[in-house]
Amino acid sequence: MHALKYFFSEAAASLWRARGGALLAILTIAVGLFALGLFLLLNANLQQVVSQWSESAELSVYLDDAATAEQLEAIDGVADRSQLTAHRQYLSKAQALARFRSDFPDLAGTAGTLDRNPFPASFELRLKAETSEATAAIDGLVTALSGMPGVTDVRYDREWLARLNAIVRGARIAGALIVAMLALAAAMTVANVVTLAAAARRDEIEIMQLVGAPFAYVRGPFVAEGIIQGGTGAVVALLALAGGFYALRMRYGALTFLPVSEMAVLLLGGMALGCVGGYVVARRVR
Amino acid sequence: MIEADRISKSYGRGVYALRDLSLTINKGDFVFLTGPSGAGKSTLLRLLLRRDVPNEGQLIVGGRNLADLKPRQVQAYRRSVGFVFQDFKLLQNKTILENVALVPRVLGVAHSQQQRRTFQVLKWVGLQHRMMAYPMELSGGEQQRVAIARAIVNDPVIILADEPTGNLDPDLSLEIMNLFREINARGTTVLVATHDRELIRRVGRRSLTLNHGQIVEVT
Repeated sequence: MHALKYFFSEAAASLWRARGGALLAILTIAVGLFALGLFLLLNANLQQVVSQWSESAELSVYLDDAATAEQLEAIDGVADRSQLTAHRQYLSKAQALARFRSDFPDLAGTAGTLDRNPFPASFELRLKAETSEATAAIDGLVTALSGMPGVTDVRYDREWLARLNAIVRGARIAGALIVAMLALAAAMTVANVVTLAAAARRDEIEIMQLVGAPFAYVRGPFVAEGIIQGGTGAVVALLALAGGFYALRMRYGALTFLPVSEMAVLLLGGMALGCVGGYVVARRVR
Repeated sequence: MIEADRISKSYGRGVYALRDLSLTINKGDFVFLTGPSGAGKSTLLRLLLRRDVPNEGQLIVGGRNLADLKPRQVQAYRRSVGFVFQDFKLLQNKTILENVALVPRVLGVAHSQQQRRTFQVLKWVGLQHRMMAYPMELSGGEQQRVAIARAIVNDPVIILADEPTGNLDPDLSLEIMNLFREINARGTTVLVATHDRELIRRVGRRSLTLNHGQIVEVT
């Protein structure tokens, strides 16, 4: 406790002496962590959007006009046992025509001129949100349903969802790379600032070495300096994120902020980055 | 206490700061090291502070061969040695109190004890009334007294002083030497490097004269 108090009081005094450089390091860390926070925030909200879209994605099983009740029951059974569907709805030929008329009122008259109802009956299967990336299982279900008696066609907009998933995955990888580079830049900036601080304190370090101060006492303030810079940078990043987020939410609504656990990751991540930068310098002091 | 057995120290090919030097200094001795610039006085003190090790020979202090010490043992050894330099080596951004208290502070001494010890040594050197001043507000003699206070605050067994009066006038120099004599009277071994022969004469203690890295005279 005594040692920690010494480390942090010395670190605070040193940061104050070199406040220009320290501010630069804090801002660099803040930019890096802001990017990480933004990435996490986008990821969380994108995930929510993908889940909503995936949930509304439907698999349509078009039925033969001559399909029997047993065949319909069998089709419904296969869909149920797949455990991929959140909701199943049977749509008769008449209901399909009514929906067409309701969805496309301008064309409703055209449908009335036809001799017979051209719309097939169908099962509309709404997929569970968590199945958005289970493309193999969905493919299996489509194949199984396609081969069943009474089924004329199965439509599922796989390509569209697959593309969306690919975009989300790509964005995650690109975001992670950018964040890693910014983290490295932040750690290097901290190391540079702490190196300058070490140069400014070389007389003190020399005296500490001459009186036989333990390594921890000589090095501790540098690590503490890094932790203070990293932690402050993280707080600045979180405040900027929160400010931007609430401004956007007032305009667009229905957005979610980072959970407490991810805010803690940002704060601890900032402190860890600063700690690494400070430790790199501290190790050079012998 | 201090035993040098044929130690040599060279910093370049064929250039010796110390050459084949042997000496014995007993516990509680007060010894001057004297000689012209470049004679090897500061080098010997550097070796005794374990800032460097001899290229040849053995330097044994308190039964420990300084060349064999591991980093943590070096730290422990230095805690038993106090040092005073010509340029005082005080931290300009810290008060007198903080400069002296730095030693017990970084050695993990409890705060109340730090304050008590620091006040005691500052009082002993007669500067307790200036403890909140910064070094630049003090005269050269006062700064050197602060440096002496810092050297003894940890109660060392040896005091090493490298030209401690180099920047002071004769009267202040004698005043500083009187402090060293008082420290020595308590049983602390004192080794002072100086080229001021008049000062040595006035203090009247044993002196070793070095030249070209060797002892050429013992008085």
